[in-house]
Amino acid sequence: MVSLARKNLLHDKLRFLITVSGVAFAVTLVFVQVGLFLGLLDNASITIEKTSADLWVTSKATPNIDFAHTFPEQYVQRVRSVPGVLRADNLIVWFMQLALPTGAQEGTLVYALEDFSAWNVPWKVTEGQLSDLRRGKYFFLDGSAVKRYGAFRVGEYREILDRRLKIIGRTDEARSFTTTPIAFMDYRLAQELNYQVLSGHTTYVVVKLAPGADVDQVKSEIRRRLPYNDVYTKAEWARRSRSYWVKSTGIGLNMYLTVFLGVLVGVVVVAQTLYTSTMEHLKEFGTVKAIGGGNGDIYRILAEQASIAAVVGFGLGAAMSYALRPAMGTLDLKLIVTPGFAGIVFAGTLVLCLVASMVSFRKVAGIDPALVFRG
Amino acid sequence: MNVLESQNVVKTFTEGRQTVDVLKGVSLSVERGEIVVLEGPSGSGKTTLLSILGCILTPSSGRVVIDGEVVDPRDDRRLPAIRKRSIGFVFQQFNLFPALTAAENVEYALNVKGVKGEVAAREAGRALEAVGLADRRHFLPRDLSGGQKQRVAIARALAGKPPVLLADEPTANLDSQVGQQVLEMFRDLAKREERALVIVTHDPKVRSVADRVVTMRDGLLAA
Repeated sequence: MVSLARKNLLHDKLRFLITVSGVAFAVTLVFVQVGLFLGLLDNASITIEKTSADLWVTSKATPNIDFAHTFPEQYVQRVRSVPGVLRADNLIVWFMQLALPTGAQEGTLVYALEDFSAWNVPWKVTEGQLSDLRRGKYFFLDGSAVKRYGAFRVGEYREILDRRLKIIGRTDEARSFTTTPIAFMDYRLAQELNYQVLSGHTTYVVVKLAPGADVDQVKSEIRRRLPYNDVYTKAEWARRSRSYWVKSTGIGLNMYLTVFLGVLVGVVVVAQTLYTSTMEHLKEFGTVKAIGGGNGDIYRILAEQASIAAVVGFGLGAAMSYALRPAMGTLDLKLIVTPGFAGIVFAGTLVLCLVASMVSFRKVAGIDPALVFRG
Repeated sequence: MNVLESQNVVKTFTEGRQTVDVLKGVSLSVERGEIVVLEGPSGSGKTTLLSILGCILTPSSGRVVIDGEVVDPRDDRRLPAIRKRSIGFVFQQFNLFPALTAAENVEYALNVKGVKGEVAAREAGRALEAVGLADRRHFLPRDLSGGQKQRVAIARALAGKPPVLLADEPTANLDSQVGQQVLEMFRDLAKREERALVIVTHDPKVRSVADRVVTMRDGLLAA
């Protein structure tokens, strides 16, 4: 089969380049914007996702994992006594002030547990032994802290709430939405540092279910026993933490707006170039009709051109987005593009290019084949 | 046997509040293998008649029969199918697809007519051979001379073996020597394959290939 659509599209290389660039630009914009958005949201819930807890008990109406409130730590006993609970531990997540060698003060988000190894948190340790945390005034610091605190090494000391603590380990990938660096320390040490608020209190109870336990049943039983707390599954808690940032900061709206504008620009560029191309090929389309082709044949030509522009533009856009990832990484920004998301963007690109080609359909339907007789 | 027939064909166009009768009752029959030249001054209705015979326009009244099928003027949707099956066009401006090679131009027309794949490629090759352009099959139209372009257009019109060939001023853009060669080749192919050929022209030299010359004047065939 001779593809008049493809041949015509590639015959005018400059126009093809413009069309494809329009699509690639829109695809890149969507990938980067949504990818960064997903990366940011991933930071908002990554510690929840990585912690091997099936249920989270929080204080009433805690909006997200970073903004924790305290409740009595002995509540953990009530949770442990619920049938179907395999293990339940207190977890403190709390903002504390950290003094830098320069004298500057920075915030740190402390995660404190009695036994980190039981909860897979931190999940990526690059230096040090987690079990050493219980042996003294020690803490682990995530590598991302370098950006805020400057370079640090294991064995150095930093002051947290005016107490001199030794860095005995380094982690990676532990992030918070607010970009506040995360420190890991022993549960009792965290309480000791902020004695007035945290003594006898925790901010979360993390729960692991026994094999075969019914999640809903256990959840409702914990709720019954702790009526002034909330209980979430891992997925619910992660979603709640993410949606807080989406709703409260307006980044969701910002992302949707940028995506909308990117898509709009892409559609307009494709529609405009295909329409101009159609106008310039009217006589050819008239010839197609004269030799027996119908409107359907010409629609197919336009649809094929739109599809080619979509596929090539998507490929280029995806490649550009992929190439941007290392650059984003140096800015400590995560660009998350999952295969599912890429699939959605591809399908969207194809559909929108086809929609853009429909702008020309009306013009094509009205082509008078008699125009082939005009000089 | 008539393969193309128009009986008392009238075509009226409306321009603003005015109606213009372009064809005022034209009856013309063309037999298989016959070459008819249609002459006449500008505005006499030649191209309109050609458009109606080619199922590009429908008559306001009258009857058109192409290869045994009566053209229903109320059913526009049927016209492409008749064009596809029964008619081959040759245009003054050649109307080749600039992005397609000579062979692809012919092959694409066959694709539109429903002939696909290898069969279409082979038939396109044969059609180009018949017009003496086998060695130019991979050339784009921009790399062909006017005469060569018109020969590709003829190959395209012949492809799919339509019983009716319609040509609109086929020599207008060619110099007289090339025009004559193209015409003779066109006539030979049409005769050999028994196609009915109607040529609309201003060029008196075209008469030399005609079996019959018909003159139009003011929307009517002159006696």
